[in-house]
Amino acid sequence: MEKILEKKSLPQWLRKLSSYEIYAPTKEGDLWNFRLVVNPESVDLSHFQTVVSPKKIIFPQREVLLEFNSNEDGVEVREILPEEKPTVIFGVRPCDAKAIILTDKVFGGDFEDPYYWRRRKSTALVGLACTPPPSENCFCLSVDGSPHAKDGLDMLMTDLRDRYFLESLTEKGNDLIKAGKELFQEPKAADKKEAEKIWAESAKKIKRQVKDVKRIPAKLKGMFESALWDEESLSCIRCGICTYLCPTCHCFDINDEIVSSSPLKGERVRTWDNCQFPDFTMHSSGHNPRPDRATRLRQRIFHKFQYFVERFQNYQCTGCGRCVSKCPVRIDIIEVLDKVREYGK
Amino acid sequence: MAEEFEPTIVAFLCKWCSSAGSDLAGVSRMEYPPNVVPITVMCSGSVSPLYIFSAFNRGADGVLISGCHPGDCHYIKGNYYARRRIALVKKLLEYVGLEPERFQMSWVSAAEGTKYTQVIKDFVKELKPLGPQTKLRRNR
Amino acid sequence: MAKLEELKNEVKRILKEGKVKYAIGYERDTNGLLPKPAFIKKTEEADKLIWEPTCVYNLSRFLVDEKRKMAKEKNPDQRPIGLIIKGCDSRAVVVLLQEKFIKRSDVYLIGVSCENSGVVDERKLQKKLKGKKAEKIEFGEKENFVVTTSEGKIEIPASEILAERCLECKASVPVISDVLLGEKTKRKADNPFKSLERVESMSAEERWAFWKAELDKCIRCYACRSVCPMCYCDECVADTINFAVTADTTAEEKAQKIKWLEKSPVASENFVYHMVRAIHLAGRCIDCGECERVCPLDIPLRFLNKYLEKEAQELFGYEPGFDPEQPSLVACFKDEDPQDFIR
Repeated sequence: MEKILEKKSLPQWLRKLSSYEIYAPTKEGDLWNFRLVVNPESVDLSHFQTVVSPKKIIFPQREVLLEFNSNEDGVEVREILPEEKPTVIFGVRPCDAKAIILTDKVFGGDFEDPYYWRRRKSTALVGLACTPPPSENCFCLSVDGSPHAKDGLDMLMTDLRDRYFLESLTEKGNDLIKAGKELFQEPKAADKKEAEKIWAESAKKIKRQVKDVKRIPAKLKGMFESALWDEESLSCIRCGICTYLCPTCHCFDINDEIVSSSPLKGERVRTWDNCQFPDFTMHSSGHNPRPDRATRLRQRIFHKFQYFVERFQNYQCTGCGRCVSKCPVRIDIIEVLDKVREYGK
Repeated sequence: MAEEFEPTIVAFLCKWCSSAGSDLAGVSRMEYPPNVVPITVMCSGSVSPLYIFSAFNRGADGVLISGCHPGDCHYIKGNYYARRRIALVKKLLEYVGLEPERFQMSWVSAAEGTKYTQVIKDFVKELKPLGPQTKLRRNR
Repeated sequence: MAKLEELKNEVKRILKEGKVKYAIGYERDTNGLLPKPAFIKKTEEADKLIWEPTCVYNLSRFLVDEKRKMAKEKNPDQRPIGLIIKGCDSRAVVVLLQEKFIKRSDVYLIGVSCENSGVVDERKLQKKLKGKKAEKIEFGEKENFVVTTSEGKIEIPASEILAERCLECKASVPVISDVLLGEKTKRKADNPFKSLERVESMSAEERWAFWKAELDKCIRCYACRSVCPMCYCDECVADTINFAVTADTTAEEKAQKIKWLEKSPVASENFVYHMVRAIHLAGRCIDCGECERVCPLDIPLRFLNKYLEKEAQELFGYEPGFDPEQPSLVACFKDEDPQDFIR
C-alpha cells in the first residue's frame, strides 16, 4: 500500500495511534535519542543519527526475567514476561532495522527467547529513508545495506519536503495506515518518481565505503594470530562505547538483584554486557582468554565479519558508523578492515 | 489514622569511642528513639564513602558517622582523616541536591552517653518532617 | 606557539638516541576533525605528528596502559616513554607521581605550552560554523584560530570556541617537563570556577532535578572512567562483576564479594557510580575534561568533579598536580581543617 501524508498531519496521525506506545527520535541538547512520545506535536523526523539505536526498545538495557520471594512454603519463583503492548517506533533508519533482523537470528532459531520475541512481535518499525545520510561515517552500502532498504521495516517513509511518501510493507504497516485513514492521500505518479529520485541520490551521498568487503571474511580466517591486532588496539581505552551503541551487538549478562536476603526477595535481571570490558571473558578459575585489548578488538572484528558470516551468512555490521563517530580515540572500523584486506601484501 | 513517619538512621560508630558511648547510654537506661541501625567500625577514619552512598542507596533516611574527639583517636590520626573525607562527602551529597540534614557527623566519646542520646534525638527530630528518603534510594 | 618542526625533531632525537621506547603524540585522522593518538616507534614516523588546537586528548592516560603492560612482562624494558604533554595533562602526570604510581624515570615529557590559547570544543565550533564542516584548525596570530572549511579559511577568536576548561585554565604551561616548547606565557583565568556558577546557583531541588535528568541518560559504558588517567585501579570498586580473580582466590572470597551497586543502568545505581568516582577523584582530578568529551550522552561530568576541586581548594587549600612531593588530599590533614559541620 502506498500513501501520501502531509507533514502537518503527522501529529494527528500519532494521536490516532493512541492505543500504541509510540517511540520517536527526540532531541536532548545536541543529541538525538529514541524516547516515548508524550506530545505528538514535538515529533520531528528530521533528525540525524540517534546515539543509541532502537534496539534498546525491543531489547532493553535492563530487563527483569523473574522474581523470587520466600514464604512459608519455601521460595516462590515467578516469571515476569514483558507485556505485549502494541508499540510503534518512528524514524527507524534502514541500517537499524536491518540490525534488528540480524538480532532476530540470534534470539530465534532453535530456542526462541520469549522476552525478546514478545516485544519484537508487538512492535511495528516505521522506517525513514536516509536523505541525507544521518552520519558522516555511514557505510551501509558496503555491507549489503542501502539508505532506503526495506529489510525489517513494516513501513518506509520518504521525506518529500512538505509531505511523506509512505510504503506499507506488512500487515502491521497496513494497520497503522488504517488507524489514520482519512489523513492519507493516494500518491500521484510524480510522487513515486520523486521518491525514487531521492533514493538514487541518497546512495550517492554515502561517503565512506569498505572496498572489497567480500574478501574480508576469508582473509580474516588466517589472521587470528596476526600482529595487526596489537598495532590497531594501541590506543583503545577499553570503554564500552562501540559495543553499547552498536545496533547489532546483543551480548548480555544476568544478575540477581537482591532486595532482602532474609526473608529472601529479589529479581533476576538481564542487562547489556560488553565484550570490550576487560572481565567479559573472565572465567571463575581466574583465566581470561581475552586479557588484553588486542584480543578484544580481534574478537569484535571477527564476530562481525567472520563468525557471523559463517553462521548466518550476513555481516554483523549494518554500516551505521556509530562506533566510528563516538570512539574516544578514533579507532575506525573501516580503517581496520582496510588494513585487514591489505595485510601481508 | 496515618502512622507517623519513623526515619531509619544508619549510624557508623567507631568502636573505641562512639560505640562505647552508645553502650553507656544503654547501660544507664537512657531513653532515646529506636530509629538507629548501629554499625560498629574500628575507626571513623575507616568509613569509606561507599558505605555512605550504599546506605542511602538501600533506603536509609539518614546516615550518621560518629567518632572520637580530635586528639583522642585510638589510632592517633584516624578521625582527622575522617574529618576531611566526610567534609567532602557532605559537600558532594548537598551538591547533588540531597537534603543536608540527612547526613551528619558527630564526635562522641566513650563517656558521653548523654551526648549520644541527644545527637540521636536531634537527628530524628530533624528527619521526621523531611519524610522518607526517595532521591538516592534504589527503586523497588 | 610551539613550532611543529621543533616537536618532530625532539621526538626524532630521543628515538634515535634510544632514550625512549616509543613516543606518544597526536597524528591527523584521515576521517574527522580530531586527531588520533600516535604511537611513534621509528624516527620516520615522527613526521606524521601534528600540534593543533584539536589536540584535546590527555595522553598521560597511556602511562597507565604502559605500566600494566610492563607488569605482565618478565624483563620489561625500563626505558621511559616519550609523551607530548600540554599544561593540563602535565598536572595529571604530577598526580601520578604524587601517588607514586609511576616513577619520574618512567616518562620523558616533551612539554608544549598552550600560551594564551588552548584546545577547541568541537560542539562550540560546529555551532559557530552553522553547518559548514571544518576540515582543519590551526593556531593563528593574536589569539585566533584559523579554521579551514570547504569554502576557504575563516579566523575565529579563540575565546569563542575554546573548550570551557581552557577559559579556567590553571596551567597553560606544563608544570613539569624534560623539554619545553613554546613561550612560557600564562593564560589569564580570572575566575577559575566560573563555569560552576551555573549549577551552584540552582536551589537544592533544582540541582537534584538537573543531576537526575543527566544521570538518567547514563548507559554505564564506563568511558568516563576508562579515559581518566587517575582511574587506574585494576579492580574498580564500582564495577561489581570486575573482580581480580587469581588462582589463589577461594570460592568463599568469590561468593562473599560485596556488590556495592547493581549493573542495571538505573538512576539510583548511576548516582552511586558517579558519586563514588567523584569522591575518589577529590583532590586528584585536574580537569582535563576528557570524561565530558568522551561521554556519548553528553553528560556534563566536569561539573561533578569540579565542585569537589573547588571545595578542596576552599576548605583545605589543596591544589593537585603542581608538586610531585605533595601528599594526596585525603592522605593528609591539618589541625585547622573545618569541623563546624560536626556536632
